[in-house]
Amino acid sequence: MHPINWVIIIGYIGYVVVDGVRRARDTNQLEGYFLANRGLPWWAVGLSVMATQLSAVTMIGTTGQGATDGMRFIQFYFGLPLAMIVLGVTIVPLLRGARVFTAYEYLERRFNAPTRSLTSFLFLCSRGMSCGAIIAAPAVVFSAIFGWDLPAAVALIGVPTILYTMLGGVQAVTWADVKQMVLIVFSLFAIVIVLLVQLPVSPDEALRIAGTTGRLRTFDFSFNLTDTYTFWSGVIGGFFLMLSYFGTDQSQVQRYLTARSVPEARTSLLMSAYWKIPLQALVLLIGVLVFVFYVFSTPPLLFNPAHEAAVRTHAADEYEALEARFAEAWTAREAAAHRLAETPRRDPAAAAAATQFRSGEASVTEVRAAALDLAQRVTGQTPRDVNYIIPHFVLTYLPVGLAGLFIAAIMAAAMSSISSELNSLSTATVIDFYRRWVRPHGSDQHLLRVSKIATAFWGLFACFVATYAVRLGSLIEVVNRFGSFFYGSILGVFMLAMVRFAKPWAAFFGLLCGMGAVAAVTFLAPSVSFLWHNVIGAATVLLVGILLSAGTTRLRDGDAPDAGTAT
Amino acid sequence: MNGESLNTDAAPDTARRRFRMTLVRVLIVQAVALLLLWIVHARYHAS
Repeated sequence: MHPINWVIIIGYIGYVVVDGVRRARDTNQLEGYFLANRGLPWWAVGLSVMATQLSAVTMIGTTGQGATDGMRFIQFYFGLPLAMIVLGVTIVPLLRGARVFTAYEYLERRFNAPTRSLTSFLFLCSRGMSCGAIIAAPAVVFSAIFGWDLPAAVALIGVPTILYTMLGGVQAVTWADVKQMVLIVFSLFAIVIVLLVQLPVSPDEALRIAGTTGRLRTFDFSFNLTDTYTFWSGVIGGFFLMLSYFGTDQSQVQRYLTARSVPEARTSLLMSAYWKIPLQALVLLIGVLVFVFYVFSTPPLLFNPAHEAAVRTHAADEYEALEARFAEAWTAREAAAHRLAETPRRDPAAAAAATQFRSGEASVTEVRAAALDLAQRVTGQTPRDVNYIIPHFVLTYLPVGLAGLFIAAIMAAAMSSISSELNSLSTATVIDFYRRWVRPHGSDQHLLRVSKIATAFWGLFACFVATYAVRLGSLIEVVNRFGSFFYGSILGVFMLAMVRFAKPWAAFFGLLCGMGAVAAVTFLAPSVSFLWHNVIGAATVLLVGILLSAGTTRLRDGDAPDAGTAT
Repeated sequence: MNGESLNTDAAPDTARRRFRMTLVRVLIVQAVALLLLWIVHARYHAS
């Protein structure tokens, strides 16, 4: 990579750390360290909410998914705006009014200490692990494209993030998120402009080419529990996932607990409702345009350079034969794409041109599948080539400076998510466990010291997990899978908290039943999409909790006359 | 009661009105976003 790109990346890392350390001056008390004294403006909180959710997985995995699978992933977010509105009128005033540090703290006030401890523990387990997966996403890609050892790539992202989060607390996290979000959005728009300039066809023709392969299918109204990306799984499953994530996950709850007031906290959440779908559409569109770009510019057969090198070394003849087939198929597809672009939409020959292009695309896909199969046999690893499409484009075709900016944006996306998660993991550890069970009367200074140690501990834990997380599956789904195992059930407990007659032990037992139900579905019907796990978990907790509470209430009402009679 | 609750109670109508307005804006933006996505789908999907 060009030295100017490295200067930009190193400059970015240095700036984030120095700025974070500067913010440490304002955080010498626990409420300042964890909640910025509840004094941040709505727009900073709103950008922090968005930056926390938008990780490097979005920049690498989702763009790659746009290139291979198209826009249908956008349906995943269709439930988000409604979820934000519901949270704005329910959870936000509830948690803000209770003046808690963590969402789980509220559950002790409403139910009991075991419910609080269990939900907080589940959060620590799932977030601790997923934080590792979030570091792993860019680290694996960087290690492959730059030839670094994986631990070095993990350290490059993890160590600066741990430093500024540990020293600066939530102030550093939020203000870094704001700048990181600006960098991310700027680089996304820049890459779209570069793509449009470099494409040899007009934007309309590019979209027509992509649409011919089904990549612009943004709505799928089929109802299928095994398909994650349909309109209904997005609206219903996505709604519950977003309710759980933004309403009960401390990494997001802590963002809006730092806002100045209830209306500002609500508005900060609504900012995501405004921009999430358009932003996600932009991310996916980049992937779609990169696909079209590679229809006209020769792509490598394997995007992952480490796998390509391994295959060239250990199966040279087989790979060269595949490359020859690929070159032939790609040339035929390019010619078909030109014909398709040159044929007017209403021309009778348009249908034949589209069929020819689809046939060319099928041949290219077939050869690529064979190459991926070969890479898996040679390396023993699942290729995940999709995660290398955008980095390859960025490093090969973006102008000097912009490539460095985009790599910095990938790091910014990773750091903004990791820092919020480390900050919230530390909060839950100290507030829900250390202060609750170990040192209830610890001084502010003592708790502040422990909080910084907890941040460092979770950061190192995440770095350790990052080295192994990639073996668990697609980078996008790893993060969501960890959460969806518990998310729905925890959401169910919060929903139950709003039922006036719900009893403490009914909530605790309901929580166990909810997780049991999700576990049962995961193992007995593994083909059911993880998006539905949240619905199943929440519904089970609510149902069991209400039935047990109502049963107990009726039993007591029934007992009362007997008791009276006995007296 | 804490300061925040007092602050919120002091102007509940204003806060409610502001929230309603933001809500309407959110709904409009979503409707426009979905409409644009539908146009892309209708015009280009399997064209």
